[in-house]
Amino acid sequence: MAVAAAIACRLLRLRAAGAGGHWRRLRGAGLPRGFLQPASAGEDAAQWRRVAHFTFQPDPEPLEYGQTQKMNLFQAVTSALDNSLAKDPTAVIFGEDVAFGGVFRCTVGLRDKYGKDRVFNTPLCEQGIVGFGIGIAVTGATAIAEIQFADYIFPAFDQIVNEAAKYRYRSGDLFNCGSLTIRAPWGCVGHGAVYHSQSPEAFFAHCPGIKVVVPRSPFQAKGLLLSCIEDKNPCIFFEPKILYRAAVEQVPVEPYNIPLSQAEVIQEGSDVTLVAWGTQVHVIREVASMAQEKLGVSCEVIDLRTIIPWDVDTVCKEECFLNLEAPISRVCGYDTPFPHVFEPFYIPDKWKCYDALRKMINY
Amino acid sequence: MKGQPPLSPRRGRILEGLLANMAVVTAAARVLGSSRGLGQDGLLLLRRLGVRGLAISHPQRQQQRFSSLDDKPQFPGASAEFIDKLEFIQPNVISGIPIYRVMDRQGQIINPSEDPNLPQEKVLKFYKSMTLLNTMDRILYESQRQGRISFYMTNYGEEGTHVGSAAALDNTDLVFGQYREAGVLMYRDYPLELFMAQCYGNVSDLGKGRQMPVHYGCKERHFVTISSPLATQIPQGEDAHPGPAVGAAYAAKRANANRVVICYFGEGAASEGDAHAGFNFAATLECPIIFFCRNNGYAISTPTSEQYRGDGIAARGPGYGIMSIRVDGNDVFAVYNATKEARRRAVAENQPFLIEAMTYRIGHHSTSDDSSAYRSVDEVNYWDKQDHPISRLRHYLQSRGWWDDEQEKDWRKQSRKKVMEAFEQAERKPKPNFSLLFSDVYQEMPAQLRKQQESLARHLQTYGEHYPLDHFEK
Repeated sequence: MAVAAAIACRLLRLRAAGAGGHWRRLRGAGLPRGFLQPASAGEDAAQWRRVAHFTFQPDPEPLEYGQTQKMNLFQAVTSALDNSLAKDPTAVIFGEDVAFGGVFRCTVGLRDKYGKDRVFNTPLCEQGIVGFGIGIAVTGATAIAEIQFADYIFPAFDQIVNEAAKYRYRSGDLFNCGSLTIRAPWGCVGHGAVYHSQSPEAFFAHCPGIKVVVPRSPFQAKGLLLSCIEDKNPCIFFEPKILYRAAVEQVPVEPYNIPLSQAEVIQEGSDVTLVAWGTQVHVIREVASMAQEKLGVSCEVIDLRTIIPWDVDTVCKEECFLNLEAPISRVCGYDTPFPHVFEPFYIPDKWKCYDALRKMINY
Repeated sequence: MKGQPPLSPRRGRILEGLLANMAVVTAAARVLGSSRGLGQDGLLLLRRLGVRGLAISHPQRQQQRFSSLDDKPQFPGASAEFIDKLEFIQPNVISGIPIYRVMDRQGQIINPSEDPNLPQEKVLKFYKSMTLLNTMDRILYESQRQGRISFYMTNYGEEGTHVGSAAALDNTDLVFGQYREAGVLMYRDYPLELFMAQCYGNVSDLGKGRQMPVHYGCKERHFVTISSPLATQIPQGEDAHPGPAVGAAYAAKRANANRVVICYFGEGAASEGDAHAGFNFAATLECPIIFFCRNNGYAISTPTSEQYRGDGIAARGPGYGIMSIRVDGNDVFAVYNATKEARRRAVAENQPFLIEAMTYRIGHHSTSDDSSAYRSVDEVNYWDKQDHPISRLRHYLQSRGWWDDEQEKDWRKQSRKKVMEAFEQAERKPKPNFSLLFSDVYQEMPAQLRKQQESLARHLQTYGEHYPLDHFEK
């Protein structure tokens, strides 16, 4: 018993510490050879797996919304949900595993604070979750549904596209489900592979009747989520999961709103416009610096924020067709499902964005 | 006490309140020195407390046994005994769930204690709603054949399911229908003018001309607008999607509204995943909802033998933990009694009820269907002549002296006249202005959509002659 415990402890310390001398000691302890890789290979492996493809750039502390607190993205989401349930007695939060706090801790503490009839688990069924949420919203109550990963939103596609999006229109405004908001963790995370990395906003981008929103930071997330919840149309709010812990900034404690369907120009520029949403905003921010530094090119950086209905005026598409000096370049993942080990090659990282920019300048 | 093992909770999740009870019982067991761990009394006490606690606050079922010595199942997933004989449960489809009825096929009450003994006025309202619906169906079906409306679905043979259930509800109970429940609206006094307006999509249509005929909706009468995708009303109704129906029921429960939600769907729609989702959610989330299945024998051309292999829809209810019943859908009193009791208990106990109303779809699926392609005329005639909800109720009325042939003749003339008048008026009205194509997508019109609306207006200024502008309001 004690020996087993001792070995177990060593293994745990080994995992925490990473590669190194521990490995050799363990081999000496009589475990089968080949059980663990040689020290140097293990070290590299751990290293390249840990490095993210971006650096989160926090925005300056907002001063106009009162007292702020350091929050990461999931805490900002919790704060928004807390504000909503406090203000709106009809508001309820539901989905898989939300009761204990959620697999990403976005709903921690809310069930204790607001009660089990307001924060509750549902059976494992996305079409049921969204359908149920629509029903709540039809009665006028506020429904906040969580889909555990955006990758799992597809069983609910029919409910979202054929029901939620069309409810008001098809009933001639007799009925609507405007008080429905669907939240889901979104986007690549380094190891999510095929079913924990997807960015499915494009599937919904051509569906009139719903709104789709993706924040880039904790401050943006709270304000945009509150706007989604209060918006009188069904909204989908995708939360970049890689930012849940990695993104930390000062976020107002009180509720505040960031308008939907308004893109934000986070950096002015004169030569090239870079548009992105969610995590990718931080990638293109870095690309903008690289472009300035290495090519002397001045970039305008735009965070789209709302995918549909999107802010055409800020981005200026059709109308500036004659003013473009180069074709628009789209840098995205390849037309394959999201891979596991190939993620570093798959994602539209800053080098690919930079290269596209360079080619544009030289068009 | 000697030989008494220390009790340890095995589960990660312990129901609130049960923890306290457990401590009491544990202490009692130790004191009493039972050799079987918690002891029979302890178990009973826990189970009694647990079950009541469950009904009030926890939808979760959990084993109540905590002694490691007891050779009883400890699994959280089921409350059952062990068995050492290998035996598969045989689904019973030869002798399925029995069909509750009040009247025989000739409209005679079988068991007088089941007669709801409704007042004459009310029963006459049942009869007039069913027959008016029937008359409207005939005329609108014909109008589609003549090219005057684009599409129609009749309700022949199922009038009893609509009216019997509608009559058992409060007027404010929310209705999520599939598409063959017009009788519910008829019973709630939805005017003929509005039925016609929706079928014609004219300026009076509350739905603003956006949907195919028979996609009625009425906020005032708490009838949620019909949508085509099947079963989508089921989860909503906690909405042909049961999910929304379930959601609405949950919200009604939270609001202490004393309202039930009823969700109608056919036996075909019950095959949809949304139906499964709706049932499961309604049961786990304890929603005051009535799931009303119209089992009419066909989903377009697909007979029930190709739709399911189990004992219909009623047999599925218990699988979800739902109180279920099967009724004779052509017996308006049976439908009424079952719905009435289900409503009372759903609201009082916050739990779902499943009613499977057996009936027969006498008409074609819709005007796009010719059912002689897949069933015999004899079969249809049997139901039309020998077991029809309208004739059965008429026999009942006549035997009570509340109706006779003279009144029948008069009413037929009168109802036909009313329907024809509404029909002619509806046909004369224009369609709504084309700009209504663009509104209500969102609560507010987005800038892009406004641009598109303006671009259509400009287009019509030049190309208007190629468009049926004359039929649309200016």
